[in-house]
Amino acid sequence: MTAISTTSPLAGGDRRKPAAARKWWTPDTPAAYLLLLPVLALFAFAVVYPLLQTIWLSFWDIRGLYPPKFVGIGNFVLLMNDPTFRNSLLTTLLWTCCTTLFSVGAGWAIALLCALAPKETLVPRVLIFAAFGVSEAVTGYIWLGIYRADAGGLLNAVLHGIGLGQFAHPWLGDTHTAIWGLIIAYSWAQTGLPLILIFAAAQAVPKNVLEAAYIDGADSRAIMRSIVAPLSLPGVRVALFINLLGSLRAFDTIYVLTGGGPVRSTETIGYFMYRESFTQFKLGYGAAATLVLLAAVLVISIPAIIQRTREAT
Amino acid sequence: MLNRSISRTLGRRALLVSASAAVLFAAALPSYAADVSGDLVLLNWAAGSEEDMVKALEEGFMKAYPNVHFKEINLTTQGDQRGAIRAALQSGEKADIFINTWPAFRKELVDAGMLKDLTPLWNSSAIKDNLSDGWKNLGSLDGKVYGVTYTFGDRSAMFYRTETMKKAGIDTQPATWDAMVADFGKLKAANVTPLAIGAKVWSHTEWFESIYEHLNGIDMAAKLAAHQIPWTDPSVKNALKKYAELIKAGCCGSADSMLAMDWDNASDAVLKAGTHGWQMIGMWVNDRAQTTDGLKQGVDYSITQFPAMGAGHDDVTSVDTKEFSEFASAANAPAADAFLTWITTADAANIVAQHGLASPSSKVDSSLYGPVIKYSSEAVNKAKPQFVLGDLLPGDLVDEYRVQLQKFLQDPSDATIDAVTQALEAKAATEYQ
Repeated sequence: MTAISTTSPLAGGDRRKPAAARKWWTPDTPAAYLLLLPVLALFAFAVVYPLLQTIWLSFWDIRGLYPPKFVGIGNFVLLMNDPTFRNSLLTTLLWTCCTTLFSVGAGWAIALLCALAPKETLVPRVLIFAAFGVSEAVTGYIWLGIYRADAGGLLNAVLHGIGLGQFAHPWLGDTHTAIWGLIIAYSWAQTGLPLILIFAAAQAVPKNVLEAAYIDGADSRAIMRSIVAPLSLPGVRVALFINLLGSLRAFDTIYVLTGGGPVRSTETIGYFMYRESFTQFKLGYGAAATLVLLAAVLVISIPAIIQRTREAT
Repeated sequence: MLNRSISRTLGRRALLVSASAAVLFAAALPSYAADVSGDLVLLNWAAGSEEDMVKALEEGFMKAYPNVHFKEINLTTQGDQRGAIRAALQSGEKADIFINTWPAFRKELVDAGMLKDLTPLWNSSAIKDNLSDGWKNLGSLDGKVYGVTYTFGDRSAMFYRTETMKKAGIDTQPATWDAMVADFGKLKAANVTPLAIGAKVWSHTEWFESIYEHLNGIDMAAKLAAHQIPWTDPSVKNALKKYAELIKAGCCGSADSMLAMDWDNASDAVLKAGTHGWQMIGMWVNDRAQTTDGLKQGVDYSITQFPAMGAGHDDVTSVDTKEFSEFASAANAPAADAFLTWITTADAANIVAQHGLASPSSKVDSSLYGPVIKYSSEAVNKAKPQFVLGDLLPGDLVDEYRVQLQKFLQDPSDATIDAVTQALEAKAATEYQ
């Protein structure tokens, strides 16, 4: 009797790749590399070369227009002992976690709501996504108008208008509220992308699964909680990954709204790097900070890329 | 024959004499006069109304020297422009001249061998007749001239809106510190915050500097800038304690509101909204008030000098200057020299005056000044000037100075003053190596 295997490849039973895929050289390899060559050349020019330059710069003490001095890993040692940098690390952690959670969380919630009535929610979806299309600097200026401490500030004017004038506050001048003001502004602008990604994932849930749930007596809330939300998780993962990287590299909104202040309370690594490199022109020190930021980006992105690659194969 | 021979000989001699005379005459002329032509490249970072004035200066110069054509390398950045200038220079931009306002940056450029020594030009041209030795000293480093000042500003002047003062019942501006603090009460009674101190970035340091100079004199201020006295010196702590008096007297609202306000918001609060009484700020606000806000100087607003503190140094004032400097690598040095000379002339000085700024030239027609600039230039001329400290400090120390004074505003206690001065001294110790 011949044994029939019932394991589906989709179930992940046999993850062994075909023999051809394991070979590093096949007759198609030269053609493949030839086709890749333009992209590789562009990548080398636009990414690898600047990266190597940045690494090289980080070994030099450059102060303005004075002659550079080679300091080896001296800039990294200085960075680790610099309380301002340590503070910027903590700020970056808070900033990145909160902006990612808020933007993806809000995007997820809105996407699930929109999934209930896709046609009727087209306009709000477009409007929310439009905010994502606005440049970060413009977002910054919009929120600057909202947070202004004087009578022209929208938020304080609204608070006065509804009889809550006692809560009016110089939001961006207070070291306790400035970072939260920034987080809200940035999260608002970044909600559009998670919304679209998760909405697409929610729309991809098979109709027969939803119909089966209805037939089994599940109400809308149960369907949303037990079927649509879990099945939209791939979209959430992608959104988390993209927003996390975006938050780590964020600069424009911080520059426009607070300039890293007050008292450096909103200075992230990205802003620290800008200040040292382009205001103080300590290019070596700034490059060292850039590499720390790059390391953080890689720590997040490499596992995510490996996971996505595994899923794809 | 003889006659022909004589005439031929005379003709040759005359030709020789004429040619020699022409050569000698040409050699005797200033070198620039013969060669002033071609493109003159300005590395320009001026913006807004100040840029308009620079354009007017360029046009004025091209009228005087029609064979010269101005070209600009424009840097469009916000905040401290030095980063953009450095980036432009390091990326190989070639310019003949540029505008400088930071003595610390001048030193950096000189140390890098990028600036031309203008001492010979100064001594051999009309500059020495048009600008006094005081301006020569302000544009010099180690006895050599590197900058020709074309405008200056009184940085110990306080702007106010006349209507606000009228509303508060302040008929005469306070001449003394105590009178100013006493006027706080009148302003607060009129629902006006006495001082607008924009501490979001840098303008809160203006008050510390004027207080320091009035308590300790300009020699001490110069020593502090050069780190010849430490930041933990009692003179610094006493100045901060005096600054704390203002805050404790309720000068400026909450620390948070000061930290949320930039200098331009503070100007708007004083000159447009009238919610605040005085703002200590540079003279560019005079131009801004007229061109942007449509206010009339001497009518809608005016200025008063920082009040006397009675510590024996009330004859001082904080100043800033803007100067043109020439790069050592200037491709068109004759035109650059001609321009640097021309900007001290009456034509150039009057253009500066017409744009609402003060000119250091002795040839300026002071009747072109409005009341604000007239008052401020007289105040500077009769005082001992000291360049603003923030522009004298090197590298990271400027940034630390601003941040530490923000901390001071949050809590102006003696303990904070100790912590702030220690932090500044620690930073200074690394920056003056």
